[in-house]
Amino acid sequence: MRIARAQHRFFVLCVAPSLAVLALITLLPALYLLATSFTPLNLTRPETLWDFSEPLVSYRQLLVDDRLANSVWVQIKLSFWTVTLQLLIGLAVALLLNVKSRLLEALRTVFLIPMVLPPIVVAIIWKVIYTPDISPMHGLFNAIGWNVPALITDPNWALTAIVIADTWEWFPFTMLMVLAALQMLPQELLDAAKVDGCSPWQLTWHVTLPFIQGVLLVAGLFRLIDSIKAFPLIYILTEGGPGSLTEVTNYYSFLQAFNFSYLGFSSAITVVLLCATIALSWVIIRAVGWGVRVD
Amino acid sequence: MSLLRRRTVLGGALGATLAAPAVHAQSGGKPYNGVTINASCFQTTYYEYLKNYFPEFQEKTGIKVNFTMQAFPVYNQRTDLELSTKGSAMDVCNVTFIYSGRWIGAGWMTPLDQFFKDPKYTPADWDPDDFVAGAQSAMKNAKGETFAFTHEAGAMLNIASRYDLIEKAGLKMPETFDDMIKVCEAVDGKEGVKAFVADKLHHWNWIPYLMGNGGTVFKAPPENLTPTFASPEGIAAAQWYADLLMKYGPDGQLSYSDDQAMRAQMSGRANMRTQAITWGVPLAKDPESKVAKTTRFALMPAGPKGNFPGSNSHGLGIPAGSKKKEAAWEFIKWAFSKETIGMIVDKHGYPAVCRTSVIKSPKFKEVLTLNGQDVAALYLEVLQLGGKSGYMKYRTVPVFPQVGDKINKAIEKIATKQQGAAEAVKQAQAEAVQDLQKAGIKVDL
Repeated sequence: MRIARAQHRFFVLCVAPSLAVLALITLLPALYLLATSFTPLNLTRPETLWDFSEPLVSYRQLLVDDRLANSVWVQIKLSFWTVTLQLLIGLAVALLLNVKSRLLEALRTVFLIPMVLPPIVVAIIWKVIYTPDISPMHGLFNAIGWNVPALITDPNWALTAIVIADTWEWFPFTMLMVLAALQMLPQELLDAAKVDGCSPWQLTWHVTLPFIQGVLLVAGLFRLIDSIKAFPLIYILTEGGPGSLTEVTNYYSFLQAFNFSYLGFSSAITVVLLCATIALSWVIIRAVGWGVRVD
Repeated sequence: MSLLRRRTVLGGALGATLAAPAVHAQSGGKPYNGVTINASCFQTTYYEYLKNYFPEFQEKTGIKVNFTMQAFPVYNQRTDLELSTKGSAMDVCNVTFIYSGRWIGAGWMTPLDQFFKDPKYTPADWDPDDFVAGAQSAMKNAKGETFAFTHEAGAMLNIASRYDLIEKAGLKMPETFDDMIKVCEAVDGKEGVKAFVADKLHHWNWIPYLMGNGGTVFKAPPENLTPTFASPEGIAAAQWYADLLMKYGPDGQLSYSDDQAMRAQMSGRANMRTQAITWGVPLAKDPESKVAKTTRFALMPAGPKGNFPGSNSHGLGIPAGSKKKEAAWEFIKWAFSKETIGMIVDKHGYPAVCRTSVIKSPKFKEVLTLNGQDVAALYLEVLQLGGKSGYMKYRTVPVFPQVGDKINKAIEKIATKQQGAAEAVKQAQAEAVQDLQKAGIKVDL
């Protein structure tokens, strides 16, 4: 018992410095953000810095801001489509690549390229693809007589254009995680199912998918949280336009803080966004669980 | 052969340094030996040219200049944040026109009167009154203190890259909004050239059309900042401009930056553009231009209520937090001396000059005579128009960036048919009012 307590104390001591650093670089800024959200901080009006006379003023403004409401709706659409497509494509490609072959192993590496590129480079690549004057895609379509509009300025296509670029960039993440899980799938399970007469489809549905369910959930969660942080693609490709069709909440918050200096209001948006992300993650984990644990 | 030689510039710099404070007048004629200043500006041709001469400035004064340039929105964003901290990261920065009211009003810039009015720092022949009054007005506060000296005056002109197509159609450069549509209708698509092009900064490009139609952005800037652009005139102007963009502009232009719009003209893909002269001169002068021989300039077309071409100015100032203000002033003084500006005009054909003596010089006229046309005269005419009636005041109020953003969104929504003109403009105005109230500004409701 004493040994266990001493061991526990030792672990706590070992972890303490990391926790202290984590608190310093994560919790303190978050607390500052929370405090700022209770002020009407405006950079051009220094007297608003620690003005807590009306602590809920920014939160009240959130409720009547139609553009913010629109940005939340855009965010929901963007997150839904990007996460869904990334999970489906990532899963499909992983299942296809989960075969022992030198060619397919090489292909796995190729598929990872979009994910390891700096996000700003990805955005520039897609800017080139979507700009009709210089786009190889538009050049090709023009050559075959197909008049395709400029996707990032067309209201029917702008959000889809972002979804396509984001999916291209991040489906390899799901693919990588699923591939790793598939490599750990016990061969005995598959063999037993085959002996029972499972078809390939039944094998996938009843054995493989339940086994990787937890991994898919984690991948989905990561992608969901990351989709809420979507920024470089929107900043480079559309700047939230045309109009506000691709203006997601964090981009709107960025505009409020760094273009208009409404830091108090922007902090309030960010606090709400943070709470929503945490709540959403919790709900999903509670609803789906962490999947099958194989010990 | 150049009229103004490098030696003249060096002479100017030397003259300037002689006037430096006596306390520095040691160390072998380099009063600021070892001092490094950080300067920053958005991308503009003046500094592209000027940076080639920084070593000579350092040679004479001992001041090393770390000069960085960023894209227009990036520069403004970063500088806005940096200035708000009153930090000392920058010693010299560009005071952007639409931010001038905000930065000066918030006390983020240093009054320069203490330098240019003191003979200890500035010789009389530097002549601060030589700067065009209209351009300088944005760089002053209500007390008349000066916070920057201008290096670029933007004078909006109508610039046609393929005037030959307009002539072929039996027409001339449009003088009214109605003419503009006639010309666009006649030349659009001819030889694969779209009739019109604009960049995405609608809150600069659209306003002359709004005012020409009888609309205004604010009630009475800078005193009364109640937004008024959702008037019937404003709604009509927004619809008219959105139609101009979508019927006669190239596909995808709603995402065009300034440079992209210029490239569309230079490569002969788009014809007319109503924009500042700085973006027009390269069409006639740049070696890459395919339209050098067919470029033509004209005044901005007039609307039923008159002609309101956009004019603006950008200047160099010293942030309030700078710890090297004297050295920073040395740099500004050198960069904007008559000799330096004259040399940049002479050697590089820089068009957007703000010093009257240079603008009136035969050399400037020679440099800005493009395809036989006296563009210098057009340039001066626009600057004078802007200075006289003060219709550009809307642009230097501290909250213009917020309101401008709403205008940009409204024009995009109309152009892409997401909303009708009335709905989009009224919504933009309502959002602008909300934003102004957030900034603590009273509006008449």
